[in-house]
Amino acid sequence: MTVTKNNGPGRAGGFAAIFSGGPVSIAPLVTFRIVFGLLMFFSIARFWLRGWITSVYVDPPFHFTYMGFDWVHPMGSFGMHALFALLGLSALFVTFGFLYRLSITFFFLAFTYVELLDVTTYLNHYYFISLVSFIMIWLPANAAYSSDVRLRPSITRSLVPAWTINLLRFQMACVYFFAGVAKLNPDWMLHAIPMRIWLPAKTHLPIVGPMMYETWVAYLFSWFGAFYDLFIAFFLIYPRTRKFAYLFVIIFHTATAIFFPMIGVFPYVMMTCSLIFFSASFHEKLLSYLPGYSPVASPAPYTYLHPTALRYAVYIFIAIQLLLPFRYVLYPGKLFWHEQGFRFSWRVMLMEKSGSTYFTIRDTASGKSYEVNNREFLTPIQEKMMSTQPDLILRYAHYLAARYRERGVENPGVYGEVYVALNGQRSQLFIDTTVNLAAQPLGWNHYSWVLPYKEQ
Amino acid sequence: MKKTGVLIATCLIAASAVFWGCRKPTDNTQTNPTDGFDKSAMLTNYADNVIAIRYLNMREKVAALKSASDSYAATPSSATQSALLSAYKDAYLQYEIIAPFQFGPAETALLDVYLNYSGGLDYSFTTAGELTGFSVDTATIESNISSGSYNLTTVSRSNLYAQGFGAIGYLAFSSDAISRMTGNTARAKYLGDLVSRMKDLVDGVINNWTAYRTTFVGNTQTNVGSPIGNIVNQLAYQLDMVKGPRIGWPFGKQSNGTVFATKCEGYYAGISKELAEMSIAALKDSYTGGGGLGIDDYLVSLKQDALNTDVLAQFDMTIAKVKAIPGSLSAAFTANPTEVDAAYKEIQKLLTLLKTDVASATAVQITFTDNDGD
Repeated sequence: MTVTKNNGPGRAGGFAAIFSGGPVSIAPLVTFRIVFGLLMFFSIARFWLRGWITSVYVDPPFHFTYMGFDWVHPMGSFGMHALFALLGLSALFVTFGFLYRLSITFFFLAFTYVELLDVTTYLNHYYFISLVSFIMIWLPANAAYSSDVRLRPSITRSLVPAWTINLLRFQMACVYFFAGVAKLNPDWMLHAIPMRIWLPAKTHLPIVGPMMYETWVAYLFSWFGAFYDLFIAFFLIYPRTRKFAYLFVIIFHTATAIFFPMIGVFPYVMMTCSLIFFSASFHEKLLSYLPGYSPVASPAPYTYLHPTALRYAVYIFIAIQLLLPFRYVLYPGKLFWHEQGFRFSWRVMLMEKSGSTYFTIRDTASGKSYEVNNREFLTPIQEKMMSTQPDLILRYAHYLAARYRERGVENPGVYGEVYVALNGQRSQLFIDTTVNLAAQPLGWNHYSWVLPYKEQ
Repeated sequence: MKKTGVLIATCLIAASAVFWGCRKPTDNTQTNPTDGFDKSAMLTNYADNVIAIRYLNMREKVAALKSASDSYAATPSSATQSALLSAYKDAYLQYEIIAPFQFGPAETALLDVYLNYSGGLDYSFTTAGELTGFSVDTATIESNISSGSYNLTTVSRSNLYAQGFGAIGYLAFSSDAISRMTGNTARAKYLGDLVSRMKDLVDGVINNWTAYRTTFVGNTQTNVGSPIGNIVNQLAYQLDMVKGPRIGWPFGKQSNGTVFATKCEGYYAGISKELAEMSIAALKDSYTGGGGLGIDDYLVSLKQDALNTDVLAQFDMTIAKVKAIPGSLSAAFTANPTEVDAAYKEIQKLLTLLKTDVASATAVQITFTDNDGD
């Protein structure tokens, strides 16, 4: 495979390498724009067709919002369906490069708005999509082979600054690498947990099914998964290993899609987005199969108005991405138990955790007590997610206090009896049953009312 | 390209080396590999030795109920009434035994909705006036009888609360039931229609199971809607029904101790305690696969022996505590709250085990929505 001179990320150390080298071919960016838009369109359509817009964003009376985003609310059935229609449309616009800046900006804002509506729908790949669409706002991905250049040929560019492509590669590498680092824990590596719990549930699969009871298979899956996540990005970056590495990408993600269908579109996101690691010549060849594609040589590369400011912005973005997954070290206790600093850190398919919650409202003035029926307020998925995550338990407790105040309970104290089972261990009491959760503040601090994890 | 292959091979070998190296010490602390488990054999046991037999028993009990209710409707007397009570109790208890198998044909036929409507689990059980839990809509029943025009297949709350075991109990065992039935052909016809409807539904489910059996036995997945997923999820759902509509809610758990005695299951026959007890025993029966290959054996094959032992013990403890409640539930709610509370606590412990520990150990999925595996 030939590698265009300035295309690979610089081998110089440090993240300044993202900016190293002169302008490069726009081709990888064009492919990325096309496949990302299409993938998003199908992802949105799938969500709609499964009836999830209604069941997730319209029906539930209560939503778990993110801290600082309590003002984000769903817009009702018509509003949500209209928004999803526009999301699908804007994804197609991105693919065709039509009104690109507007479309990708709208897509980023609308998609992120939807994700902010309810924490219980949080998925790492949704976060990834938000990040990538945000990055894409700043990239000239419509400067070739797009409706925009057809309408305004003057904006055509065949060369773009190297960092525009390198930043997307960095983002991909982050997902893989941190997912790999997260797997380096005793349960995953030494005990093959949760694979040993999940795989025996997969014996229905043809050929490999009967092997799923074997412990060594669980170890193989765990170790291969960790090894793959840790190193695949580097094998994709390095030109000589790239083709083989991409073959592994296909095999690995096809396997995850077969074994764990509930992870949804994640495998497809990774398989398509990994194409960004390929060289410009590869992408030019790929694009040449598309109708009406002809590489235009316009000698003037795409330039930004404020390159220095942008450079610092990119550094800040990178710094955040590198630090965020490690914020958990600021908290005491077992990460999997307390989940403080768990989200936004590429911790995917990492543990088996489930819980049962029983809440009681006690009127501190009259002493009257009312047991809560979670089914009255939460959907099954909301209840499942809430049952194991302290911040969601607290949010729900505050909501319950408000609802019972409406029902005439003057000073509702909210007490929870919560049992959680982690990684195949037996369930144990999760929070202090004597603490009035209604009086506990939400915040970034450690929640001391969560009981410490007892090793069994 | 050659170098690439060598590089990847080296990495894989290195990974395997570390993997094998680490395996030995962990094997000493961890349990040995499972020998495998025949899920198809388990499902075959459920289909042929558990579900099919229990449905056939149900058909017999409903037939007996039909003849007893016909005699009662023809000549209402305390003799025919007590014969009916015995047949009614038998059929109702048998219904509790098939309740954990509310999937496949039973789900399609809405068997639990028509036979024993509970109002579902997703509402506030705090007011006496509303039709909730195991209420009986006596007003609709009376108006159906007097108008003579009704369609029992309509799915509406009032219609569902005017048929099934609850409504039959009202027509047969409410305080002045005999005198009101005497010489009232419209009333007799309504009772007959309710029991016939029950018979038709049960027959329909039995017939459809013949075709469904192949699908059931052949699907060893554990996702939502799969046979194993259904069996495990029903354990939790049905026990939630015991904790809520059967005992906890009419006992006043949601309402600061305000008791709703008439909203007990089988209220007019006064058999609410027996029903609750049987309901839990039926779950144990389902859990153990009726003594054949069941979820208990699956857990043992997954090296969850201790969990299985605890679940079985907790089943027995819970059944014993419910049995220990004196008299009928509707009376005990006010007369013996301590005993009811003791039973309630055990039900909650059992529910936690089934919903959290068992579901987690068997990796059964509870919702359709995508997830990250937590």
